[in-house]
Amino acid sequence: MVLDIGPIQLALCLVFILVAGTGSVLLKLGLERDLAWGTFRTFAQLAILGYVLKFIFDISQAWLVLLLFAFMVFWAAHAIRGRVKEDTIPIFIPTYISMVSSFTLVSILVTSTIVQVKPWYTPQYFIPLGGMIIGNSMNAITISLDRIFNELRGQRDRIELSLSLGATYQEATTSILRDTIKAGMIPSINSMMTVGLVSIPGMMTGQILAGSDPIIAIKYQIVVMLMLVASAAIGSMLVVHVIRRRCFTRAHQMIV
Amino acid sequence: MKIDLKNISLSLDGKQLLDQVSLSVGRGDFLLVRGPSGSGKTSFLRLINRLNEPTSGEIIVDGKSIADHSVTALRRQIAYLQQTPVTLDSSVRENLLLGFGFRAAEKSIPGDDALNAMLRDFLLTDVTLRDDASNLSVGQKQRLALIRILLTKPSALLCDEPTSALDPDSRRVVEHKLESLNQDGMTIVCVTHLDYTPEKITPRRFTLEGGQLTENQR
Repeated sequence: MVLDIGPIQLALCLVFILVAGTGSVLLKLGLERDLAWGTFRTFAQLAILGYVLKFIFDISQAWLVLLLFAFMVFWAAHAIRGRVKEDTIPIFIPTYISMVSSFTLVSILVTSTIVQVKPWYTPQYFIPLGGMIIGNSMNAITISLDRIFNELRGQRDRIELSLSLGATYQEATTSILRDTIKAGMIPSINSMMTVGLVSIPGMMTGQILAGSDPIIAIKYQIVVMLMLVASAAIGSMLVVHVIRRRCFTRAHQMIV
Repeated sequence: MKIDLKNISLSLDGKQLLDQVSLSVGRGDFLLVRGPSGSGKTSFLRLINRLNEPTSGEIIVDGKSIADHSVTALRRQIAYLQQTPVTLDSSVRENLLLGFGFRAAEKSIPGDDALNAMLRDFLLTDVTLRDDASNLSVGQKQRLALIRILLTKPSALLCDEPTSALDPDSRRVVEHKLESLNQDGMTIVCVTHLDYTPEKITPRRFTLEGGQLTENQR
């Protein structure tokens, strides 16, 4: 049985922000506005999410679940575009399409085959699991994309040397592609190494707080960890391949 | 290999580098192109190697538009020697054989004897195939880059300042080599800011300035 948090107790949480805000004033950090705005957004965004989830859970239609999923990926792709800061090559649409296709497949595979929930789109499984895939892979893809643009520009002379010797753009950038995908995957692999040692993962904590048996929570966490590595790998590989293609013309000329 | 440039214009970053340039390069020609820095000499060579696309105009190679040739095969046939020699962080051997690692390459890879003979030809007698290429001097890298291209046996060679970092002896060796290759039928387009009077052949001399390519009196 989960203990509910009443509105007064929830409001008491604002004391934490007051403590942080007082510190900011005393140390002249100038973070008061950000703290206030951040607090407001946390309440507002999560309240909206709560109602949206409740609505979708009640209706439980495949198209609605997939629509919400596509909407979540849209914002992830939008955030990636903001963080990568690439002006020459348009990255939003190829990133979005690659993410939607690969993450939908991984999420369906997890809910239908591993968790074996029926139907596969049951929102209380599909949305949180899919959300974790998106959030985690977003970091992997951002790292990979940032890296590929830096590497292509930094190694322009070497790439053009290979091109001028008759290499295709794929041949001229093989090692760059490998390095960028690796860079994107390393954080997920590192978190597999430290999971359970350095911290108790968020999802497992949530399940335990919600009254789940820790053994069941652990099994879910294992599924999540492996699923995150796979989705980071698939997402990075797909996005980096598509974006690399866009950095060259059909005549294998570099345009970044 | 016959190369025709028809009304080629090129603008890069808002700057017009070539303005309606037309030129016909015959099989076995030796062209020397001079011009002030920033006049577009490098871009001119890159267009022929198809690393860049002209803003307007057409390049015809052996009677066919450059766009109708396989780009990888074309780049091997009309090789381009970059102004700043680029080496990989690996051995001299790996650097020399770089051009043989691609699908477009011939399957017969030169052996160590052939590679060593080339190093000797270019006065790189103190360089071994196992040396780390990144430790070579700029002049040595420049010759290594030229050997790397010659190993792929192109029909035409576009050289961007091929002797700029060389001492007088090495410079003469490279110039003589280019002239011999030309005598054997290789088309050569050489961009240089140095005074260069070939001894074995009579080049066609051009000046590139203000976007115009002008052939000088012989």
